[in-house]
Amino acid sequence: MTLSTPIIWVVFPLLVAAICAALSTRRILSLIIASTAAFGLALLAAFMPENLTLSLGPLTILVEESLAFLGRQITLTYAILPFIAFTYGTTGLWLLSSNLPGVPVAFRSISLVITASLTAALGVEPFLYAALLIQTAVLVSVPVLASPGAGSERGVLRYLGLMTIAMPFILIAGWLLTGVVILPPESPLIGQSAIVLGLGFALWLAVFPFHSWVPMVSQRGHPTVISYLLFIIPTTILVFGLNFLNRHAFLRTSETIFSIIRTIGVMMIVFGGVWTSVQDHLKRAFGFSVLVETGFSLLAIGLATSGGLKWLLMLFPVRALGYWLWGYTLARLEHRCGSLEMGEIQGFGRRLPILSAGLFLAQMSVAGLPLLASFPIKIALLSQAVVEGTTIGVLSFVGTLGLFLFSIRLLMNLLQPIDIEDTQFWFLEEKVSQFLPVILMLVALVAFGLFPGFFTSGMTSILTAFPQLQ
Amino acid sequence: MPNLPVIAFVVIVMAAMINLVFRDWRINAAALSAQYLAAFVLVMLSWPIEVAIVKLITGWMATAVIAFTCLRQKSHVSSTEVASNLFFRGLAGLLIVLLIFIVAPTLHEAVFPAVDLMIIQGGLILMGMSLMQLGMNSEPYLVIISLLSFLTGFEVIHAALELSTLLTGLLVIVNLGLALVGVYLMVNGDEVNEPTERGESL
Repeated sequence: MTLSTPIIWVVFPLLVAAICAALSTRRILSLIIASTAAFGLALLAAFMPENLTLSLGPLTILVEESLAFLGRQITLTYAILPFIAFTYGTTGLWLLSSNLPGVPVAFRSISLVITASLTAALGVEPFLYAALLIQTAVLVSVPVLASPGAGSERGVLRYLGLMTIAMPFILIAGWLLTGVVILPPESPLIGQSAIVLGLGFALWLAVFPFHSWVPMVSQRGHPTVISYLLFIIPTTILVFGLNFLNRHAFLRTSETIFSIIRTIGVMMIVFGGVWTSVQDHLKRAFGFSVLVETGFSLLAIGLATSGGLKWLLMLFPVRALGYWLWGYTLARLEHRCGSLEMGEIQGFGRRLPILSAGLFLAQMSVAGLPLLASFPIKIALLSQAVVEGTTIGVLSFVGTLGLFLFSIRLLMNLLQPIDIEDTQFWFLEEKVSQFLPVILMLVALVAFGLFPGFFTSGMTSILTAFPQLQ
Repeated sequence: MPNLPVIAFVVIVMAAMINLVFRDWRINAAALSAQYLAAFVLVMLSWPIEVAIVKLITGWMATAVIAFTCLRQKSHVSSTEVASNLFFRGLAGLLIVLLIFIVAPTLHEAVFPAVDLMIIQGGLILMGMSLMQLGMNSEPYLVIISLLSFLTGFEVIHAALELSTLLTGLLVIVNLGLALVGVYLMVNGDEVNEPTERGESL
């Protein structure tokens, strides 16, 4: 029996998504089907033998790497499987929390379609066509972003507009880059191609000044949906971007390009950090801190010659855990409080101590607090940034402080006493089912912080898919 | 007909200008249909007719989807606009056309020497006008029309660079997806507005 990797990780999840859509009224059943499929695909990708042969008793399944489709190929090689395992694993994680109040029913099927589209984007040949598959994922994401009554249309339209404009830039840049190979290094076309490509990625990654949709969408959307989309789409785009560095020598050998990427990254960290620190809305603050994280990703790419790409890949799993916990706790708190304005959540730390601690520590983990997941990677990045230039290092550090400041403001508000609590300092209004995921995730965050190499080594092996970048 | 591309180019300029200036969905839908027809003629310069027609059919399907949704929407009743608004939008459109006429020959020589100048001009005018339109309004149907026009402009130029069945298929998905997402946002916005309107009338 013969299968192919695209059938397993692209076609099959689409079928599961269709089943989940058909069963959308049966919430528990569709939750089980979707999360089982996502985790199953993640495990299969993680434990797939290198010869791509599966033996199930007497049955032997040969798995090919390519699938012909409309005259072109979709190829998912063995080297990229750890990343596919990671994307399906994180999708499964978010699917587990899709039963939270307020999560759109369509989220289950749509998240699977998005992950399948993004997986196809990583394998389509020529790789430039990935831009269209990423655009498809963006289009599919709109119904869960703009759920009825949320009032998020303006932000969503801006998101849709900027992402759509990015796609032609990438396709044109790709066409230009095919001709660049034979040009002399002094040709102006090389710089022009890099600018067009950079514009495309800047639009995709919501780099300043194309960032305005992120806080808008973040403020209005459901935290579970937002945290998933703001994680999965930029992460895949960043990995897709490695293709360009891998294929075009002039990009990976140009110190100017890396310097520009570093500068933009630092600008994003400072800009996002400062804006996060002054936010009064918890979901809006999440949007701004996503911009900080994009800045860190760009900083890591800018430090590629000093091992930055490994840090970039190592950031993905810890970011996923942080975002998930952040989204989960925000969703729970929003359900309890109604509003996530800073003034509205005063004293909630005493009523919902574990959820509040989860929210605080999720933010601290993303910010890079010692002992938590992001710390070892962020400290390495910041140290290397200082080596590259003191200004860059100091500015990155200042930007990082923004989220710390916001978290301290949040903590002060959460712990502020209110009248009825004069006689009793703590209440425990949470149910075990509500805080157990928080505790488990906090344990995971600490474990990742203590043993970063053990948990993230699989991610760095993805670089074998990009031979020129190792 | 040797003059057909020239006529198509003129239609593109006029349709893009109409879409920029007017905000009545009937006029916009008619202009969008004409724009797709003209874009099809320009794509036909690079692609065989049996492939190029995919763009026309997709475009008309997207237009129909948007137009029928507008037809059913209560909130899309056309309102009279101040003449100065129309004038300034028209002026902005003329400036875009002028800019494209200045920039396009340089772009033709430096970047796309193998592509017909008229194709570059037509594509860039569509892209430029739609970007201008995108920046000037936040009505879902106008945003979607401008995004569809932007993609059409890109497709006109890209068709002269590459012919791929997969790319054509994916662009069809993106165009129709965009139209459907537009419909979703229009209906969604209408559902949100309805109770408010009722509340205000009470």
